[in-house]
Amino acid sequence: MGRRAPARSDRWSTYETMTSFLVRRILGALMILLIISAVTFYLFYAVPRDPARAFCGKICPPETLQLVRHNLGMDEPLFVQYWHWLAGIFAGRELVQFGDCPAPCLGYSFATQEPVFGAIVDRFPVTLSLTFGASIVILAFGIVTGMIAAWKVGQPLDKIASASSVIGASLQIYFVGPLLAFYLVDTMQLIPRPSYVPITDDPVGWFTHLLLPWVVLSIIFTANYTRMTRSQMVEQLAEDYVRTARAKGMSNRTVFFRFAWRGAMIPIVTIFGVDLATLLGGAIITEQTFTLHGIGELAVRAVQNNDLPMLLGVTIVGAAMIVLLNIVVDVLYAFIDPRVRLT
Amino acid sequence: MRSHSRRFVSMTAVLAAGALALAGCAKGGGGGAPEGAAGSSQKPLENKAVSAISVGTAGDSTGPAPEVPGAKPGGTVYMIDRDDFSHLDPGRVYLNYNSSVSALFTRTLTNYKQDDAGNIKLVGDLATDTGTTTDGGKTWKFTLKDGLKWQDGAPITSGDIKYSFERLFADFITEGPDYAESWLVPDANKPFRDQYKGPYDGKELDTIETPDDKTVVFHLNAAHPDFNFTVAMTGYGAVPKAHDTKQKYDKQPWSSGPYKIVSHVTDKSLDLERNENWDKNTDPIRHAYPDKFHMEFGLQSQQSTERFMADTGNDKQAFTFHNPVAPERIQEVLGNPDLMKRSLQGLTPFTTFYNINTKRVTDVNVRKAIQLAWPSKQIQQLQGGEISAGKIATTVMSPTVLGYEAFDLYEKSSKPEGDPEAAKALLAKAGNATPTIVYAYNQTPTQEKVTIAIKEALGKAGIKVVGKPLNAGTYYDAIGPVDNKYDVYWGGWAADWPTGSTAIQPQFDGRQISDNAPNYSHLNVPEINSAIDKANAATDPAEAGKAWAAIDRQIMEQAAIIPEFYQTYFGLYGSGLGGVRFDPIQGEQSALNIYVK
Amino acid sequence: MTTVSWSGEPGTSRGPGPFLSVRDLSVEFSTEDGVVHAVDGLSFDLEKGTTLGIVGESGSGKSVTNLAILGLHNPAYTRIGGEIWLEDRELISADRATMEKLRGDRVAMIFQDPLTALSPFHTIGRQIGEVYRKHRGASKKEARDRAVEMLRRVGIPQPEVRVDHYPHEFSGGMRQRAMIAMALVCDPDLLIADEPTTALDVTVQAQILDLLKDLQQQFGTSIILITHDLGVVANTADNVLVMYAGRAAERGTVREVLREPRHPYTWGLLSSMPRLNSSVDVPLKPVRGTPPSLLNPPSGCPFHPRCDYPRLAGPELCFGQRPDISPETGHGDACYLTLAQKSELRTAQTEQTEDRTEDRA
Repeated sequence: MGRRAPARSDRWSTYETMTSFLVRRILGALMILLIISAVTFYLFYAVPRDPARAFCGKICPPETLQLVRHNLGMDEPLFVQYWHWLAGIFAGRELVQFGDCPAPCLGYSFATQEPVFGAIVDRFPVTLSLTFGASIVILAFGIVTGMIAAWKVGQPLDKIASASSVIGASLQIYFVGPLLAFYLVDTMQLIPRPSYVPITDDPVGWFTHLLLPWVVLSIIFTANYTRMTRSQMVEQLAEDYVRTARAKGMSNRTVFFRFAWRGAMIPIVTIFGVDLATLLGGAIITEQTFTLHGIGELAVRAVQNNDLPMLLGVTIVGAAMIVLLNIVVDVLYAFIDPRVRLT
Repeated sequence: MRSHSRRFVSMTAVLAAGALALAGCAKGGGGGAPEGAAGSSQKPLENKAVSAISVGTAGDSTGPAPEVPGAKPGGTVYMIDRDDFSHLDPGRVYLNYNSSVSALFTRTLTNYKQDDAGNIKLVGDLATDTGTTTDGGKTWKFTLKDGLKWQDGAPITSGDIKYSFERLFADFITEGPDYAESWLVPDANKPFRDQYKGPYDGKELDTIETPDDKTVVFHLNAAHPDFNFTVAMTGYGAVPKAHDTKQKYDKQPWSSGPYKIVSHVTDKSLDLERNENWDKNTDPIRHAYPDKFHMEFGLQSQQSTERFMADTGNDKQAFTFHNPVAPERIQEVLGNPDLMKRSLQGLTPFTTFYNINTKRVTDVNVRKAIQLAWPSKQIQQLQGGEISAGKIATTVMSPTVLGYEAFDLYEKSSKPEGDPEAAKALLAKAGNATPTIVYAYNQTPTQEKVTIAIKEALGKAGIKVVGKPLNAGTYYDAIGPVDNKYDVYWGGWAADWPTGSTAIQPQFDGRQISDNAPNYSHLNVPEINSAIDKANAATDPAEAGKAWAAIDRQIMEQAAIIPEFYQTYFGLYGSGLGGVRFDPIQGEQSALNIYVK
Repeated sequence: MTTVSWSGEPGTSRGPGPFLSVRDLSVEFSTEDGVVHAVDGLSFDLEKGTTLGIVGESGSGKSVTNLAILGLHNPAYTRIGGEIWLEDRELISADRATMEKLRGDRVAMIFQDPLTALSPFHTIGRQIGEVYRKHRGASKKEARDRAVEMLRRVGIPQPEVRVDHYPHEFSGGMRQRAMIAMALVCDPDLLIADEPTTALDVTVQAQILDLLKDLQQQFGTSIILITHDLGVVANTADNVLVMYAGRAAERGTVREVLREPRHPYTWGLLSSMPRLNSSVDVPLKPVRGTPPSLLNPPSGCPFHPRCDYPRLAGPELCFGQRPDISPETGHGDACYLTLAQKSELRTAQTEQTEDRTEDRA
């Protein structure tokens, strides 16, 4: 019955300092990224196929194939190749097949011959805008509807919110996306066809063109957050300390927003940290659905094309994003819950 | 693995190259064709591409190209397609798709001119004619036209042409064809890069002479009477020394053609605008009516088909180089006269077939029996019928190859569903009434069905088929070794230029058998080998064509492959465009005559 | 202890009477399984400046009664009947705003587990101060000063520092002191302490009880002390109310109830309590059986399934009819046994216990 702090072993102990926490987490994150990249690297080569063939003409003499392997640095032992890849991130490298690759160098795409880092940087704003906007929609809508449902627990408004959240959760991006696009874009012409307009060029265009992808990506998650917020609020409202607040004469609103809300946010922030990875996954589907040229599209292509450098790059950047955001979530967590606050 | 993709350079280059998705199943055609599309009510495809191929004269080579009736200059033409162009550096271009767009800004010594009747002529593009040889094809001389300019107005000189060939030896240019490279070094039998390492360290290739600014002379290490076809490949397109950015050239090639690249955002878009320094009077094949091209990528054939059918907004002025009509829409398009008015059909140079491993199935009668029992019709239906998959083939060479002769040794025209009785008779003659063959195939839903059809049909003839499913990603790695353990396996091929030398020699010259070489049937017949040498030496194209056709027949008599399809193309474009043609050389839509109505 | 009879509609004022008077209180919860009669016809009074101990097992309705006084039950699934008069104000019929004003100001409550009862997200100072701000309209600064003062008053060392700490940084005893500070910040007239010492170890228990006593003497606060521990009652309370199954089983002064308990349930409670003056070898004798289901309470006397004496009192009475507490004032209990029977049985029980003690000696 008591309040419990979610058990997360990597969360700081009560008396750890912020600096040491950050140092520890960032070192841990780097280790994770190192392992992920090494495993991806290894798995790619575990499959018996030769990416060098992609760079060799139709009639491919063995010496040309060998030259390509050399150009790509693939004639070296796997760990040497991995080392070169790692070193390239910090020192850049020279790749015969593609030319100079300044640091941070993640290599060149086997499929499109463009620098992986550049491609990711190019597309990053798209995916960032997509996930950021969707996060806002998810949190804002999910939490607000969940709070309303909790406030009006058992009343029609609660039932509507709960029911719509069940419906939302059962929807699929690739189903809702085209459907909404058909009605809102084609039939009613309420919003423009989704595409990416840089926020620096035209903030309004950025907003209107991404509105539909945000909504679509957030629908399934929003429902989840509505339910979670509602149940967390209901649970929190039954907590002893909320009763105490009432016993002190605090008004319903104060109890709801000052006391219960804080407690309800803790699991929600935690779950959101976990959901970020899923959200990125959803972003991939959303990008496919609306042909947005983001990281997700890169990832899908990289898989289709056996494009190791791109695959590695996207994997690492994706993993780095998730790891980083989880650190942010943990810091955020400390601000909400003083019991894990840093000294 | 069946390809709707006509990015067909070859199965090896395309499929095994890790870009398997291009010609492979990822295109969606492989498993996507509904059974209904193969209905017998389907109207037979006209053989538009089966046309005379000849070598044109100097007169044919002069510009400007004959006006297209009703065409007018101006406007923007849109292009929508699935994939971005993988290479634009001519030296790295092999795929037909890359070649089609390169024709707008990269010129070659020779090129193909198609007349209204569909006849194809090899003509001089940068050169005044198709080149001259006085020693049976060992030495070739080309003279450049007057008034040729790069996009910055600098003249295109013989030095540029020499340089364009020299740079192909550089270590980073590995994707393009290497015919000329192996022919321009002293010893054809040694790796060409061991003999010359490219111009970047200041060394020149002395087998190419430039006696003056207009003349280029190639000294080959052996006679190659169709070298003038070779240099029509985009891979031998012109690159200026002054603007060669090496690896980066692939993204920003310097234009010698009517358009230049304004912007190229990988995987998103390519924008071209008029190159004012191009003079149409030097160009016999390009019209350059539109002011601009805007090309967009990322559309699957379902999406592009729907957009062409809807025909709204800019899509009215849109065409596609490559995307075919989506298989599930074929019947709808065929039944709609308005759509058919803006459709294109034709045979591509791509042929598909089943290799019979002659090293394992050594008895020619058993091979012939397999041919006779083969369920070609059922396979065609499973792949979506003639329009979606292709015409049932009976020869090695495609009808799009110079000298093609139609013949049918194994009753494919009369009994396309297989003749088990005839097969049984042959097996009896072979003294092996119930042979077992191992059939290796790419494991996709469609191919599983095809395999069942093959098992059934061959079973009727008493041949037991053991299926060996292979992973799509490693298909060619599995069948590549000479000592592979399979008897029959699918493959595909397209000639690099429309003569028998690239249609036949790489696949059936028994002296070139090695691991991962294109000779997947491992056929090594001395008579065929020597016939190939003779055909290669023939200086008269028509005579050479006859010689290749004879070899084609020899190969089929050996039953080294079971021909499957002459691949077909069926595509749509927007109603606001005129002059959209099917290009039988590349097997897709051509941009050269396009105009905005 | 006197009970005046009065007449009047709920919500109207009445003449002078006890400081707190609960009349015929009933609290029913509707649950999925049915209606739970948590409190049923309970009446008691509390005089100003005195302490009433309410004793009973878990589920006997002690806490429910007191939450009803504060109006903290969720009206969505609770039905409350009867009257609760705080001086001249009826609380059951009072509106939400009135109750909000009352709570924390005139009536305050201390809960059993100070760890869960304090918000983990706010500093102790803020939690104390916000009551003061709410009811006294104090500024932040005044509220903080008041919080420091209160912490000092309840004996927390270094209150200026501790005021900014969070509950998890306090020890159990300190937390309960803080809780008391919070409850007393507006000098309430009535303090309801719901098992304030149950979660604490024995030495701290004593300190907290002493603190409550001191504060009562200083400020004249009336206290309702809810506990299941008669020992606590003995030391702290003036009057006792023993509750069983949502009803009063026995009431009286501490002396009356502990010295001469009348109700068999009270006997059970007493004999289940260790005494310092008896041998450790004497086994404690808990009340047999389990507390009754409030969803479906037994007919007649709710205690009869666990009672040893229905035969004596007359089964038709015990099983058939609910006993009322009698007499209406003073030391009363709800049992059909006659006073003589009770006295006899009590004596016998005591002797029996002493006999056993002697046997073992």
